[in-house]
Amino acid sequence: MAATTTAPLTTSWRDRIKEPRTALFLIIAYIALAILVLVTLDRRSLLFPLFSTCAFPPFVLSPFVILGSPLSGRTKVRLILALILLIMPIIGIFDGAYLELAIQICIFAGLALGLNIVVGFAGLLDLGYIAFFAVGAYIWGMFTSTVDTYWATQPVTLVPFAWLLYFLVAIGVSTTVLRGRRENRFFWTVGVLGVFILATIVWNAVVNNLVFLATQIAPNWLVPSWAFFLFLIVGVVIAAWVGVLLGLPVLRLRGDYLAIVTLGFGEMIRVLARNLDAPINFTNGSQGLSGVSRPPLPGLWVDATGAIANGLSVRVDNVEPVAQQLLFYFIAIAMIGIIILVARRLEDSPIGRAWTAIREDEVAAIAMGVPLVRMKLLAFAAGAAFAGAIGVLYAAKQTFVSPESFSLIQSISILAMVIVGGMGGIRGVILGAVVVTLLNLQVLKNISLQINALRQIDYMIPIINFRITDWPTQLEPAKYERLVFGLLLILMMIFRPAGLLPEPRRKMELQSMKEAAGEGVEPITEIPAAAGSEG
Amino acid sequence: MLLEVNNVEKSFGGIRAVRSVSVNIEEGSLTSIIGPNGAGKTTLFNLLTGIYKPDSGAINFNGRSIIGFRPDQVNAAGMARTFQSIRLFHAMTVLENVMVGMHSRLRISLADTLLRPVGFVKQENHVRQKASDLLHFVGLAGKGDEVSRNLPYGDQRRVEIARALASDPKLLLLDEPTAGMNPNESVDAMNLFRRIRDELGVTVILIEHDMRVVMGISERISVLDYGEKIAEGTPTEIKANPRVVEAYLGRQAAGTTDEKQKATEE
Amino acid sequence: MERTTQAANPFAGMVEWFSSPPVTGGWLYRFIIYPLLQMAVFIIGIAAFLTAAAYLIAFIIPNPRENIVLAEQINRQLPGMIISGISVGFVYSMIALGYTLVYGVLKFINFAHSEIFMVGSVVGFEIMQRIDEAGASQQWNPVVMVVTIVLSSMLASGLLAVLIERVAYRPLRNAPRLVPLISAIGVSFFLTDVVRATEAMLRNDFNLRYPTNDLNWLTDAIPLVIGGITVNIKPTSIIMVIGAVLTLLALNYFVNGTKLGRGVRAVSQDQSTAGLMRIDVNFMISLTFFIGGAFGGAAGALFGMNAGTITPYVGFIPGVKAFTAAVLGGIGNVTGSLLGGLTIGMLEAFLNGTLAYFPALGQRYTDIFVFAILIIVLIFRPGGLLGERVDEKV
Repeated sequence: MAATTTAPLTTSWRDRIKEPRTALFLIIAYIALAILVLVTLDRRSLLFPLFSTCAFPPFVLSPFVILGSPLSGRTKVRLILALILLIMPIIGIFDGAYLELAIQICIFAGLALGLNIVVGFAGLLDLGYIAFFAVGAYIWGMFTSTVDTYWATQPVTLVPFAWLLYFLVAIGVSTTVLRGRRENRFFWTVGVLGVFILATIVWNAVVNNLVFLATQIAPNWLVPSWAFFLFLIVGVVIAAWVGVLLGLPVLRLRGDYLAIVTLGFGEMIRVLARNLDAPINFTNGSQGLSGVSRPPLPGLWVDATGAIANGLSVRVDNVEPVAQQLLFYFIAIAMIGIIILVARRLEDSPIGRAWTAIREDEVAAIAMGVPLVRMKLLAFAAGAAFAGAIGVLYAAKQTFVSPESFSLIQSISILAMVIVGGMGGIRGVILGAVVVTLLNLQVLKNISLQINALRQIDYMIPIINFRITDWPTQLEPAKYERLVFGLLLILMMIFRPAGLLPEPRRKMELQSMKEAAGEGVEPITEIPAAAGSEG
Repeated sequence: MLLEVNNVEKSFGGIRAVRSVSVNIEEGSLTSIIGPNGAGKTTLFNLLTGIYKPDSGAINFNGRSIIGFRPDQVNAAGMARTFQSIRLFHAMTVLENVMVGMHSRLRISLADTLLRPVGFVKQENHVRQKASDLLHFVGLAGKGDEVSRNLPYGDQRRVEIARALASDPKLLLLDEPTAGMNPNESVDAMNLFRRIRDELGVTVILIEHDMRVVMGISERISVLDYGEKIAEGTPTEIKANPRVVEAYLGRQAAGTTDEKQKATEE
Repeated sequence: MERTTQAANPFAGMVEWFSSPPVTGGWLYRFIIYPLLQMAVFIIGIAAFLTAAAYLIAFIIPNPRENIVLAEQINRQLPGMIISGISVGFVYSMIALGYTLVYGVLKFINFAHSEIFMVGSVVGFEIMQRIDEAGASQQWNPVVMVVTIVLSSMLASGLLAVLIERVAYRPLRNAPRLVPLISAIGVSFFLTDVVRATEAMLRNDFNLRYPTNDLNWLTDAIPLVIGGITVNIKPTSIIMVIGAVLTLLALNYFVNGTKLGRGVRAVSQDQSTAGLMRIDVNFMISLTFFIGGAFGGAAGALFGMNAGTITPYVGFIPGVKAFTAAVLGGIGNVTGSLLGGLTIGMLEAFLNGTLAYFPALGQRYTDIFVFAILIIVLIFRPGGLLGERVDEKV
């Protein structure tokens, strides 16, 4: 930006591309080229997997190129919005596979942003984060799956939930009313108790009647598909609640213990999901829940998609799945938007400052009046809440939920996203999600596809005379995501611990720790046992 | 009495770090706790602020027992402290450091944070304003946006004091606040301590090694040795106390490398 | 103020094995009799405790299902459960030692240790498979064969552990605590797939079956009559116990009876002071990793021989359980690993034996119980049963 003010006789190309106009031109050319390649690629060609792998990542990464460019803030926002809201859907209409990838990226970006609150903001290493995602997915799955589960069949099963909800609300209301009331305490207490008893009677009647009605209307009921949007909120609440329940006993543990315990929790939730099909069928065990509802698809939306496809002269055999995917894409984008907003606001608040303080020095933080366990619980619950909502979306998108989608490797891949991008920074984390998801779902997969395609024609690599058919079938790149994630984690930790797009403060923390250690002053990160007893 | 400490005990393993110490602090006073290295001074501060739990004894602050309080509850009750080895949040700016110190005085609500009603914005503005006022008070006006690790040593100590003052404490515990300062800085620091007491009305307890500071500003002095309180009184009384001279100054005379040892000690 | 605290120790006096004050007496007593006695005490104690607990549950819930009398089932299974508990417990102890030793010197949880264990069992498989492919497995003396397999696994895993420390941990020694931990997680994931890729290239398969079928001494169960009940003991159980006891005795001798062992102990007490005393800290750390890794490798080979089939993913669950064992015993405390490992192994055997009789539970929940124990221990007694050396500095 400042480069324009100086006008030396010989401008080097470095300076020249920093000029906004040139930069804008270059960026548009770059994006146009990527789009062109994407749209013109022939799916049937032999080297399609390879080319597609070379073309799609540059396109998806273009928002980050724009962010790093010397354009004005406004232009940046406009360009990025156009890319996300306009160009990506159009590419999606041309080829649904890219739209699918974009949705997956959004899902993982949402998860990574959630984990970032826990790991990046509050500095708590959570290796079982996927558990909260599973909670969200199973909530929607259990209520809408066509599999004959306990939940799906009988309205009566909702009674305990109704009462749980009731008691949560009751406890909340009564503590708020009674808190801080020093005068007439007795009367207030009696009053609250009276109201509580009355309300209980009323609620009992309401629940019983509702259940009776429901049994009359639909003895084998399913939650309607429009409830999806309601369940996004239910997913948030329940996942946050699970986060608090899991976090309460373990958050006063030291960092490395916390990592192992959360890992244990993650595995426990998976084992439970796998085994809770007997004696009462909650999760349908390892077979998973199939036939999960999608959100309703308005007819208008389908028509509009069809019209746009026509306008672009793309031949679409069946508009409905495309429209469905587009709908998921926009829901996912909206959710990411909300998550970014929430994360920003949390960061820039007393809560965010408290998290940073805890991350940097727990002892100093608690001595300055920051309630450690409460703030950590809040981080845990906030992260879990995001994962819960994303889980509901995921279940609806896949229409299938199975325990195997929630294994440790998923938790680690999300952690890898946070670390690759740069802990603590929202931009970096999204970049990490894009990079890791693409690696996992596109690059590795396409290399496998490419090898298989070449195997079909019995291709021989020239010069080294290696026949692809000699490639061991077990050595399929798509199955080696652990190797990639593992290597990523090690290399990032050794060479760029603050990530690709480092958040300045995080970077400084890593440096200051190193210096402190170099000076022989050991950073003390623990609170002695006496300090941890928070109820 | 603002603070009453009665027969507080604390041992680690077999070592009795604090042995039956009793101290009373009057509101508005300026007290020093002195003693040779390893006498249990910092341990006493840690007991007062809830970082350690005493094995036995009573601590009453502002009329109620604070035994079993967590450090953050102690802070909320009105007792703030600094640390001997500076424990700022190094990657935060100076202003943010002070703002964190206000945590226990803020209304913290998740809904407010997300929805940003007028009250939240007002509170944030107030926090910012008060933090910069405090920085002005400790003599760091205009340095709020600097990253705290980049400040010189003496200024970092001032930030720590401002951070502690941010919670509107009734009692301020300063753990060797002039350690590593040159004589000029020490004089400035002494003035600051006086102003904290006189202008803000905060009761102050210091742990100090610098005898000029101790004798210069303390109204009362308590002397610890081997975890025991061996003397208490006005500076003149303490100077004349033979036990103190024997236990404290005697050893001081034997080795003047006290300052250096401290770094390795704690 | 730096002070070393010993958490209150409920077993004080009985369990001071590797920790100060050293056991006094003759060489034979210090390094053979005393440790063996101690193991015996642990085994009997844990077995007695769990048996009592099992019968207590049987008393409270006599018929968990129709037609099932829990007490009778326990009667029938008790010897089998105890024997399998001992053998599995020793394996867990050996893995737990790896966590504990490394924690002792670096105050860091070596997340990749479960993979070092896995590599041990894969290397054991490779050696045995090669012997078998050469057609020599029948000629080899069983003892020589087992010793060869276990020793090569120990060597491979030990060297691997040293390599990992050198490459992935040493550059990060001064970084914040989470950094080497994340690196260790990376190493763990990396290793599983490297092994998988290697085996895919070598054999185009990663389900590795130890060639134990035609070795009678390894497959034929040994019948043993205890109190009128015939218990079939797998020979591998006996191999596991003997192997574990021998290596544990060797470790005890190394740590308490040699100069190098003293160096390791010194480094684990205080690195910088040890450095000032002209102890080569880096060498001692490497040595610790080697020993810990070697123990993991030995456990891996023994585990593999017992399990028969292994995969590159076999390390995770035993790894977590061994970690639980290390924490239960008190991480950083070598004796604690032994106690913790035996406890977890025995508990697992008891759960495996009895959970099946309960409706809505079953063996599949055994792992959850073990995790639950980890969490409970960490919450209520983070120092573990034998207490951890806690450095409190403020």
